[in-house]
Amino acid sequence: MRGSPAVTRVAAAGWRTACLEAQHDGERFEGLFATTREAGVAELCAIFSSPADTRVIVCEAPDHRVESIVDVIPAAGWDEREAHDLHDLRFIGHEPLRPLLDHRAPLAAWTVPTVGHDTHEVAVGPVHAGVIESGHFRLHVVGERILHLDVRLFYKRRGLEAAAAGRPLATALGHAQRACAACAVTNTVAYAQACESALGLEPDRELRRTRTLLLELERVYNHLHDISAICAGVGFAAGTMAYATLKERAQRVNERLTGHRFLFHTVRVGASDQELDVAAIDRARGELREIRDEHASTWRQLQFAASLQARLSDIGVLSREDAERLGAVGPAARAAGVRRDLRAESPRLWYDAFRPVAPPAATGDVASRTVQRALELDQSFALLDELLAERFAPGLTHEVSDPADVGIGRVESPRGATVCLIERADGRLRAMHLRTGSYANWPVLAHAVAGNLLPEFPLINKSFELCYACVDR
Amino acid sequence: MFVLLNHLRRVRREIAAPPPATHGSLALRHVDAGSCNGCEHELTAAANPFYDLAQYGLAIVASPRHADVLLVTGAITTRMKPALQAAYQAMPEPRLVAALGNCALGHNLLGQTDEHAGPLEDILPVDLRIPGCPPAPATIAAALTAALDQLHRVPVPSR
Repeated sequence: MRGSPAVTRVAAAGWRTACLEAQHDGERFEGLFATTREAGVAELCAIFSSPADTRVIVCEAPDHRVESIVDVIPAAGWDEREAHDLHDLRFIGHEPLRPLLDHRAPLAAWTVPTVGHDTHEVAVGPVHAGVIESGHFRLHVVGERILHLDVRLFYKRRGLEAAAAGRPLATALGHAQRACAACAVTNTVAYAQACESALGLEPDRELRRTRTLLLELERVYNHLHDISAICAGVGFAAGTMAYATLKERAQRVNERLTGHRFLFHTVRVGASDQELDVAAIDRARGELREIRDEHASTWRQLQFAASLQARLSDIGVLSREDAERLGAVGPAARAAGVRRDLRAESPRLWYDAFRPVAPPAATGDVASRTVQRALELDQSFALLDELLAERFAPGLTHEVSDPADVGIGRVESPRGATVCLIERADGRLRAMHLRTGSYANWPVLAHAVAGNLLPEFPLINKSFELCYACVDR
Repeated sequence: MFVLLNHLRRVRREIAAPPPATHGSLALRHVDAGSCNGCEHELTAAANPFYDLAQYGLAIVASPRHADVLLVTGAITTRMKPALQAAYQAMPEPRLVAALGNCALGHNLLGQTDEHAGPLEDILPVDLRIPGCPPAPATIAAALTAALDQLHRVPVPSR
């Protein structure tokens, strides 16, 4: 485990070459961020990772122009659009550069034009029919067939990252948590890891165990929720309610263990406070075993529910090639056969010998994404059972290297790889950049929807179950 | 399927929820005006078999045109204010507005000021306040059933 990430500085003219070389060497793109420096100079940085190491490529763009990398690394599409909207950066070769955050832009500027016999648009949102987060979808259709989906999010933009800048590192953790309730642990652990990597701190055994416990508790209630939501997407009420019951039980375990149903206020920079005695861990272990067994029997019932199963296959297919090319992450990518999970490369957490799982036939459709949740639940229940065999004491960090200006945290959320990059100056936070699993997967979802029927859209959407809040920030 | 339904029936027996109300109903419409998704999770949970809002006559409806109550969650973002106002305008009278969660109540907001449109109180007349970060489903259920009881407390006509 190393402290702060290696930083490669390049000139604006060398930006594209440096990024493409990293990609060519097998490093994986994990995010691109821009910052406006003093005197209006824009600075651009990209994160590239290999299983062994993570590094940052940085360049200054004094005239706000750099060459785009989106033709070779399509996963950077939204990142470049965001950097343009927030920092007025031009990406040469990214044509047309559609607005992403800028809601003042006219419809024609942010949608892809579709022409032909009988094509029309169906506009949905930002307010939806159910209890759903706010966002706007523009579906281009012929009859009932979806040709293309333009996603417009950022209705819930609160400006959390900008508001966090300039605050003490410990205070800004609150901003990372507020981004999203369902990913609160992931986002705060990613932020705390980023701070610790910049400060040259390494977590001790207790801190690693505690954070892993919290992350797996978060995954369990989220995955139970997702299976419930997929049943709801089909209108299979019995399955929806059975899994809603299991999720409720899991959240009650969260509350008893940490005092909060969503595990809020459990993560700190540099330490952990959780103290769980034998009685507490025994009770939680017993309850989680009951939930696990109940899930196993309910899951078996879902396999025999023909009206449910008939709706899941061959819907919203994401091929393995597309998942790789578009930079898909999390259960959606694994269900398409990409066996990648940040838990397998998390020395700052307690995942020894972790191996990512994928369905035997990783077909990348809704059925496959549903099975993927069940496989990961088995894994998480086993991990929790192992973790809860031993009591928890407060955790700490110790210094292993000199402090640096940049730090990175990488955590596998229930929706995929979440990366947090922080910059510090004068002991305070200079900038925070949070790129969650949902951010990576929204363009992938839009891709998987094309070619399906309009009524399948809610189901495909639920099979990805992406957050809006931690994308909008 | 029958196994699943039997299982759910057993859950209901074990939970032993209070008996359903004998009168009235409220149609609820939810608008997320910039939440962290916590309030949405808990509002959805209020429909699970543990709380089962539907048995008290409380149901989420798809359109504000069918709603009695507008449930607003989140810090009111500048970008969501027009949609929130449009939803309110579409509701028939009489209508109620509920601020669901601390953000909608304007407590402890984080973020940039220009992305926030101001407290819900300044935008719409708030009738019902449900605090919490997020409010637990039991809190949501209690607040909404109490509102239902209050609305339907019809004075007994005197002879």
